[in-house]
Amino acid sequence: MRLRFLFLLPLFSGLTASAGGFDTGPQGARVLGLGGASTAYIGSIAGISVNPGLLGHLGDSLLRVSMGGMGQVRRSSFIGQDTYQRTDQDLTVQPGGYFYATHAVSHRFAVGLAVTTPYGYHTKWPETWEGRSVIQESRLNTYFVQPTVGIKLNDNFNAGLGVVYAFGKYSQRRALGQYDDPTAQAKYTSSGSGLGLNVGLYGRTGDNLSFGISYRSGVKLKMTNGKATTTGIPDRDGALYPRTGDFTTDFSLPSSLSVGVANRITKNLLVSFDFTLTGWSTQDSLRLNVSASGDAPDRRITTARRYEDALAFRVGAEYQIGPKFTALAGLRYDETPIRDEYINPEFIDANRLGLSTGFSYQFSPRLALEAGYAFDYGQLRNARADQLNEAVANISGSYRTTTHTASVGVALAF
Amino acid sequence: MFPTYFYLRVEGLYFVISMKNFCLAPWHCAGFVAAALLLNACAPNQDTPTPTTRVDVSRYLAVGDTYTSGFSAGGLTRASQEYAYPNLIARQLQGASNGASFSQPLLEAGTGAGYFSLVDFPADGFFRTRRVDGQAVRATVINPAACAGADTVRLLARSATAGTLPQNLGVPGLRLTQIEFPGLGNENLAVPGATFNPYFERLLSTGSDQTYLKSVTDATATSTFFTFFLGIDDLMPYVRAGGQCGPVPNSTLTTQLRQNAKKILDQLTAGGRPGIIARLPSFTNLPLLRAGKGLDLQARLQSKFKDDALIYIEDPIGLGRTQPITDDDYVLATTIPRVGQLTEVLVGTTTLVLPYGRDIRNPLRDADVLDKDELSRVSVVVSSYNNELDRLASEVYKLPVITPAKKQSTLDLDVALFNPVAGSISVAGVTYTAEPVRGNFFSLDYYSLTPRGNALLANTFISAFNKAYRANIPTIDANNLPTSAQ
Repeated sequence: MRLRFLFLLPLFSGLTASAGGFDTGPQGARVLGLGGASTAYIGSIAGISVNPGLLGHLGDSLLRVSMGGMGQVRRSSFIGQDTYQRTDQDLTVQPGGYFYATHAVSHRFAVGLAVTTPYGYHTKWPETWEGRSVIQESRLNTYFVQPTVGIKLNDNFNAGLGVVYAFGKYSQRRALGQYDDPTAQAKYTSSGSGLGLNVGLYGRTGDNLSFGISYRSGVKLKMTNGKATTTGIPDRDGALYPRTGDFTTDFSLPSSLSVGVANRITKNLLVSFDFTLTGWSTQDSLRLNVSASGDAPDRRITTARRYEDALAFRVGAEYQIGPKFTALAGLRYDETPIRDEYINPEFIDANRLGLSTGFSYQFSPRLALEAGYAFDYGQLRNARADQLNEAVANISGSYRTTTHTASVGVALAF
Repeated sequence: MFPTYFYLRVEGLYFVISMKNFCLAPWHCAGFVAAALLLNACAPNQDTPTPTTRVDVSRYLAVGDTYTSGFSAGGLTRASQEYAYPNLIARQLQGASNGASFSQPLLEAGTGAGYFSLVDFPADGFFRTRRVDGQAVRATVINPAACAGADTVRLLARSATAGTLPQNLGVPGLRLTQIEFPGLGNENLAVPGATFNPYFERLLSTGSDQTYLKSVTDATATSTFFTFFLGIDDLMPYVRAGGQCGPVPNSTLTTQLRQNAKKILDQLTAGGRPGIIARLPSFTNLPLLRAGKGLDLQARLQSKFKDDALIYIEDPIGLGRTQPITDDDYVLATTIPRVGQLTEVLVGTTTLVLPYGRDIRNPLRDADVLDKDELSRVSVVVSSYNNELDRLASEVYKLPVITPAKKQSTLDLDVALFNPVAGSISVAGVTYTAEPVRGNFFSLDYYSLTPRGNALLANTFISAFNKAYRANIPTIDANNLPTSAQ
């Protein structure tokens, strides 16, 4: 199956990222249960955020709405390379949610809207942990609003186009460990927005086999309203670290290219397969350009990230157990975009193996309850900090990461 | 926590795999999802390495001088002793060696022997300190005729365990050339001009003539492991006096240092006792010299005074004329605050008021500068001494190799620590440099270390020990320690 799509590989080169890394998982309870293999899956209108090409097929005379809430817990443990001290990240829940609506406006055209929270993370280490001067807490939240148009090209082929408006908030804080005062700290918060495009195709060959391909461009969030604040600075260094300052930064969210196939094997069993390349390589460095303030000159705080594009392979199965009840299961392997040399506690990621499950219960033709859960287990990662490179704040040690993602929602038709 | 977590995690996976069997009703699934969310209460497990060592480190003996004693910011206090690198090493060794203990000749809590505290740190970067009197000083002996001007010896309260030798035998100001001098620790010799060390005196019983070498010999009887970092204080008086006082670094001194180091090391390594021998770091890495590196200082002063005046020094040989400073001459850090201050100077028959060192008619005096000839004398002694330590370690005592690339069995503190710090390093996000105050490594006396500096030094010893003796001793999170011992 994989070989069939090898011809697509040249297309992928030069794109930036959406698998692994700081994606928050498939955006919908049902597609989460399916393991995210939704490029050619029409079981939920949530597919339009991955492949707008599905919209031409999904849109019908009813107004269909799918919405729900999500939560992701991503947690890492750390053991210092030389100190042998173990630190567990604090428990945080990255909240998320989704809202989809589709409606056919004519025989050929359908319109849709997708509101999702596809990227984000909330890393929180104990305040006094070993790497507190590298990072104590870092947070990214993104919101994507994607109005979408779907076109039925003929009975078997559909194309779709969506425009993505993305809004994101970023914040981080770290201890200034050069001072005795344990509350000495630097904080940075900012927000910004950007635009992107999402295009896709969906087709069927016969009743049983369908396929999809889609491309979502990267989005650059331009953040110009950053506020930097410091606390706990002794008077003698007050000029070096002004209490408040402004900064700007950019946050590059990756592009993603997905191809998928779905095959109805029996009347009750559907299997779907996805292959996604996420263009994480636009995530080169996190640069905070802090403007001059008082006696302190302007400066740039750079955290090299140098992400690589990453692949994800996903398989999902949907089994119709009864007339109302559908069970879902999925398996996925997500490559991490983070190279060994750039592992940094601000955001920890690893190649992950994930299992997922979920269900859909159809109360009536107009109402279904959906739920999904996924568990990802990451490889052990070893970070080596170079003490001689004083421009890079990092810490040596090993990390193990797991994520739990859960979602509950409803699918409605009016 | 580990078994519970593992069990639950397996359950979680099992749940996922057996989905079709279990999740026949939504409420059933919801229960499992809730259970799965409970899993989040535990972070993923990792195996934490266990501290181990193959050699017996239960009775550790530290031999050394100012650095080893825990001296910091111009003084010894109980707090600074607690942060002495041997004490920090001992604490780490205890994790791998049950029942290991370490004793130090602790002063009473308080100001101890006195120390420097920071007065202010003006924007020009030249900080100012003042001396805090020590409450442990029980008498002072002033020698008005000392070479570098009046010299004060402070007699200290005797260690509570005086007579019983501590395991930290670090003695501030201890010179290798004095290790066989009887009476070095006898109060009777606390008279102007005599060879006497008040820090050694407080370790011995009253009126004892025991030599330092004898003390080491006695202490080794119950020791299983040692560190040796001794010799800097033989050269320090010369460096501090800008080459005008103290034992002159020449071949006689070199020979004495080499021979006396062997006498101590023979005792420490007797019976194949394991240990770490540290080479001396170069003096130019210490802020005492580094802060006043000729042209760097000149540039800093030019920007402070907003002019382009050169720094002038007296001719080192004393024959020629005053000359501009070069980058191989070092103004002592203790002199720096005076450079550029107006002083009266006799020029011909007239007394003029001129900026000290920044006018060709008012050059820096010899005693305020370690010029390149004096420095090279010091360097020759240091390198010859270090080579001897190397030879002894690998050929005579057959200690295990620490640096395989150079086949060195000694710990090269310059390579492992002082050179990197001089170029500034980042330790878990905190920058350490050779600059006192902001650098957090050297203390206010431009020479000894802060508690964090001691932790980094202890880590250097621990890493060397782990390599040489294939041990797993954890290092210290230096950033957790205070930035000053006072």
